Amino acid sequence: MAEGQAARAGIPALFTEPPPIQDPLVTETTELQNETLEKCLPYLKGIHDTQREPFNQHGVPALQRPDHLEYLYDSLEDYPAGFAGLDASRPWMVYWALAALSLLGEDVSKFRDRAIATFTPMQNPTGGFGGGHGQISHCAPSYAVTLSLAMVGSEDAYKVIDRRAMWNWLARLKQPDGGFRVCEGGEEDVRGAYCAMVIISLLNLPIDLPPDAEVRQYGLDTFIDGLPEYLSRCQSFEGGISGSPGTEAHGAYAFCALACLCILGKPEDMIFRHMNFPMLLSWLADRQYAPEGGFSGRTNKLVDGCYSHWVGGCWPLIQSALEGTQPAAADARKPSSNLYNREGLTRYILSCCQNKHGGLRDKPGKYVAPCYYDEPTD
Amino acid sequence: MEPEKKGKYASSPEWSNITPIPLNDGSDSGAQPLATIAYAPEYLEATSYLRAVMADNEMSERALALTEDIIKMNPAHYTVWNYRAKILFALEKDLLDELDWLNGVSLKYLKNYQIWYSPSIYTIPSTNGERHHRQVLISSRQHFPTLPTGEPAFLMSMFEQDSKNYHVWTYRHWLVRHFRLWDSPQELSDVESLLDSDVRNNSAWNHRFMLKFGPRDDEPAGLPNSTTLPPEQKGRLDVVDEEVVDAELDYAKGKIVLAPQNRSPWAYARGVLRAAGRGVGEWLSFVSQFVGAEAESVKSTHALEWLVDVYLEDSEHEKKEEAVRLLNLLKERYDPIRKNYWDYRIRMVEGVV
Repeated sequence: MAEGQAARAGIPALFTEPPPIQDPLVTETTELQNETLEKCLPYLKGIHDTQREPFNQHGVPALQRPDHLEYLYDSLEDYPAGFAGLDASRPWMVYWALAALSLLGEDVSKFRDRAIATFTPMQNPTGGFGGGHGQISHCAPSYAVTLSLAMVGSEDAYKVIDRRAMWNWLARLKQPDGGFRVCEGGEEDVRGAYCAMVIISLLNLPIDLPPDAEVRQYGLDTFIDGLPEYLSRCQSFEGGISGSPGTEAHGAYAFCALACLCILGKPEDMIFRHMNFPMLLSWLADRQYAPEGGFSGRTNKLVDGCYSHWVGGCWPLIQSALEGTQPAAADARKPSSNLYNREGLTRYILSCCQNKHGGLRDKPGKYVAPCYYDEPTD
Repeated sequence: MEPEKKGKYASSPEWSNITPIPLNDGSDSGAQPLATIAYAPEYLEATSYLRAVMADNEMSERALALTEDIIKMNPAHYTVWNYRAKILFALEKDLLDELDWLNGVSLKYLKNYQIWYSPSIYTIPSTNGERHHRQVLISSRQHFPTLPTGEPAFLMSMFEQDSKNYHVWTYRHWLVRHFRLWDSPQELSDVESLLDSDVRNNSAWNHRFMLKFGPRDDEPAGLPNSTTLPPEQKGRLDVVDEEVVDAELDYAKGKIVLAPQNRSPWAYARGVLRAAGRGVGEWLSFVSQFVGAEAESVKSTHALEWLVDVYLEDSEHEKKEEAVRLLNLLKERYDPIRKNYWDYRIRMVEGVV
C-alpha cells in the first residue's frame, strides 16, 4: 500500500526502498521478510496514520515520552487473570519496567518498599529467587531481582538478599564444563553464566566456590574456572554466539556471552582472547537490515525490536574491545566510530516500534510486548 | 487469599489431609506488590496446593495430577515441570506415556506461544519448560537406551509449525550428541528436506554443520578446537576427511546458485573451508560469477565480501587495491546499511586501525 506513496522529506532512500539485491527465489523466509518489509514501509516513510507529530527534519517521529511513561507505570500494576502465563516472569516484568523508567530519567527509588515487598517472598532459604512465592530458584529471576533492588537502592533493599545462601546456590549451578545451569535440574546455557556472573559481581560474592561445592570434585576451584573456555565454545562457524556449544548463533545469547566475558576481564583482553573477532564482527554487522534499520537475532530471521537491546548491547562491548587496543585517540568517540548504523536503529525504534498508546513493540502489526491483551486466541 | 467458594481441591476428600500454603505476594508488609496478576481462583488454589506438596517433597499420583492441572493453566511454570519430572522418576512411571502426553502439550503450547508471548523479550526466563522436561526424561539411559522411534517425526511436526524454533533445534542438537546420531541417515534427510523447502533455514544449516563437522563422542560440543587453537584458527579440525569437505562444498554451491544473496550457505562454506584448513581462494572462479566483469552486475554481497577476503588471504592472491575498491562498492552501492562496518574493513586493509 505504501509502495507508491511518497515518503516525508528528509528520509534517505536507504530507509524507504527495498535492498539493492534481492533473489527472485521465493521461500517461507522471503515471504515473511517481504511481509515485514511491507508493514514497516509506511512507518519508515513517516506516513502511517497512527504516527503522531512532531517529526523532525529527518522524517523521524519524536519519542512519545509521556505515553511510554504512562505505559511503564501501568505495567508495574495489576494484570488480569489471562496473564497467568507470566506468573514465573514477574521479576522480569518489574525489572524491564524499572530499567526503562530509569532510562527515561525517572526516580525509581519511590518503588523501594513495593520492590522489597514483591521480592522478599520469592527468595528461597536455600539461596536465590524463584519467579514467585514457592517457585524454585532460577538464575533469570535472581538476576532481575538483584538488578531491580540495585535500581531502587538503599541498605534495606540490599539486605533482602541472603548473600551467603546465594553463593551456595550459585555453586550448585556451576557445571564441570565451566558453564552454569539456569536452575537446579534445569538447562545449561549462556544465560545461566551471564546471570550468575552479574549476581556474583554486583553482590561482591567470593569468586572461590564454597568448600563443599560438589563441582570441586571435577577440579574446579572458582566460579570462573573453565567459564571463558565454555563461552568460547559457544561461538559458531557463523561467527556469532549460541546459547550452548554447537547450537545456532543468536543475538540474545551473543549479548549474554560477550557481557559475561567483559565481566570476567577487560573487553580488549577477553573478547580477542576467546572469540574469533573478524568472524564475530561480520556476523554482528549482518544483524542489521535495510530498509528496516533494526536488528534481527539470527541469520535469515526478521528484525525485532527486542534485538535493539540484545544486539544493540553487543556493539558497545565490541567498541570497547577495539578502542581499548588503540592509543587514546582524541576522535575515538566521534559518531562514525559506531560500527553499526545508528541512524537505522533510531529510525526503526522511533518510526516502527512505538505503539500508539505507549510501549515498544517487536515490529509493526505485532502486539506490544508484554502488555495488554487478555486471552490467547489459540 | 482464601477463595470464597470451595475449590476442587478444598472439596476433594483425596486432598483433605493437605493444608494449602496460600500465595504470599508480600502485601502483608503493608506495601503493595508490583506487577501482580489477578489469578483465576482455580489457578490460585492449585498453586497453593502445589506449594504444600512441594514443601513435603511428596511423590504421589495426586501430586502428579496436580502438576498436569497447573501445566494446563500455565505451561511456562518451570517449577512445576521440574517437580513433575522428579515424581515421574520416583513413581517409576511409564515415560513413553509421558512422552505421548507431552507431544500434545508441546504442539499446543508452541501454537499458543507464538500468538501469546513476545518470543524474545521472555527468552531469558522459562519459555522452554516443556522442551527441557522432554530432555530430562529422555536423558534417562535406563528408560531410553536408544532414540525413541517417534522422536524425529515429532520434531518434524514441531518444525512444520515453526521451522526455526530455537528451543526445538537446541533439543535436537542435544539428542544428536546424547544418542550419537551424527551419521544417522534420518538426521541428514530431515535437514535436507527442511533445506529443500526453505534453503534459507539457517537453523537447518547449523544442524547440518554440527552433523558433518561437530566434535564427536566425548569431545566437548561447539566449534572444533575452540579452546585448543588460537582464536584465528578456531574451528579447524585435527583430522580432515577431504571427501566430506568436497561434498559439502559442492552441496553449498548447489544451494548458493538457487539464491546467491542467501547468507546461510556462504557462511556454511566458510565454516567448511575453515574446518579443513583450506583458504577461501579456491572458490575464486565460482564466486566471480556472482560479481560480474567490472563488479557492475553484482548478484550477491556475500560473493563480493568473499572476493575481498580472497584478495587479502595470501601473497598468491593479494590485490589490496582491488579489495578496497570492492569494499567501497559494498559500502556505497550494494550494502550501505553496513557502511561503518565496511569502513572499518577498509581501514584494516589500509593499516589505519
